[in-house]
Amino acid sequence: MRLLESDSLVLHSFDYRETSRIVRIATRDAGVLSVIARGARRPKSPFGSAIDLFTSGVAHVRVNPARDLHTLTGFDATRSRSELAGSLARFTAASAVAELCLRFANEDDSGRVHDAATSVLDAIGVATPDDVPAIALAGAWRVVAELGFAPSLDQCATCHADLVADEPVTFDHRAGGALCARCARLGPRGRLFPAEARETLRAWLDGTESALGDSSTRRAHQRLLREFLEEHLADGKPLRAFATWEAQSFSHAPAEHA
Amino acid sequence: MSAIEDLVTELSRLPTIGKKSALRLTYHLLKQPPEQSRRLAQVLGTLTERVRLCERCFNLTEEQPCTICKDPRRDAATICVVEEASDIAAVERTGEYRGVYHVLGGRLSPLDGIGPDELTVTALVQRVGAGGIREVIVATNPKLEGEATALYVQEQLSSLGVLVSRIALGMPVGGDLEYADGVTIAQAIASRRQMR
Ligand SMILES: [Zn+2]
Ligand SMILES: [Zn+2]
Repeated sequence: MRLLESDSLVLHSFDYRETSRIVRIATRDAGVLSVIARGARRPKSPFGSAIDLFTSGVAHVRVNPARDLHTLTGFDATRSRSELAGSLARFTAASAVAELCLRFANEDDSGRVHDAATSVLDAIGVATPDDVPAIALAGAWRVVAELGFAPSLDQCATCHADLVADEPVTFDHRAGGALCARCARLGPRGRLFPAEARETLRAWLDGTESALGDSSTRRAHQRLLREFLEEHLADGKPLRAFATWEAQSFSHAPAEHA
Repeated sequence: MSAIEDLVTELSRLPTIGKKSALRLTYHLLKQPPEQSRRLAQVLGTLTERVRLCERCFNLTEEQPCTICKDPRRDAATICVVEEASDIAAVERTGEYRGVYHVLGGRLSPLDGIGPDELTVTALVQRVGAGGIREVIVATNPKLEGEATALYVQEQLSSLGVLVSRIALGMPVGGDLEYADGVTIAQAIASRRQMR
């Protein structure tokens, strides 16, 4: 049993039994942890509203080395993110980023996922609905890059031949990135990856901003990221928040009634 | 599987009931006169047969529409939107609210697979769009998910020319500023009201 005190971000939180909540947090020092907040649902709980979704704070955790569920003994909230509830675009995008961290970052103890996720959520929180998709996609790829899974874009993922920057290539999730024409012919299962999309993705992985064009470009990028995540997770479990985010992106405009 | 194991499995699916409690309940039932267990089985059967969702408000009911929707003394022009049917009981306990309800069937929670299509928001928009509604009070829970749900509902209703209000959030009655957390105090200040 060891005590951990770490800057943390609440990624998911759900009721457990009559009075408790289970919270999944990205910590700076121990990766993503599942912790139980006992009594958190009681009216006079010491946790108050501190462990609400997407809240940052200092978590005090009693780590149980023999189990996957640890005990949250306290959470000093430093920043709540009510602005993420401000629109469906923000809320679903933030949830998709949280899901990505939850599913990928279990082993990360470098703090990079915590830091990247925190800055992505802050950026989504101030974005206009039109800007949310590009900011969320950029942030999601940055998390992927921080974890060391960045796809290969300038060299063939299979034979490592240099790729010409302004030519369309094939993107093959299983191979781990873009393929040269020769390798693409050998294993015909990738999808066409236009030079412009490659340019955008390169900028996102480098941490620079790059806006998205029309809605079909945006949808193509969402699909590319989803397929990439599914390939890497390979556990067959659906990415539910991601699916909601994709569905939201092209529907649910305010109702029109005369 | 044995009959005992079957019941233990089914009981431990219930909220707050672990394997140990399920086993205890099972042995308790076996010690009672068989008539009591038969009665329980019968009541459970009737429950699932009779209880349906109200076609208008999605409350749980045995009649269509539910007793609240049907009650002529209630103000049908005011709708209180709640997450779950069980929340209706909480509001009804106050004895203060005289309007009708709309049950969303949950709150937005993409991480749990709940998006707008999993809730009854479209039905609410149709209900309000049909006319005769003055005010919609959004009483989802004061958590981020409840807040996101409230704002989504408001956005969906925005073009219908109906007053949409949100229940006040903040300090609990009997609470103490000194012991409240920062988020609660901030919400209490944001939803302050003018004093007369
Ligand atoms: Zn190659
Ligand atoms: Zn009803």
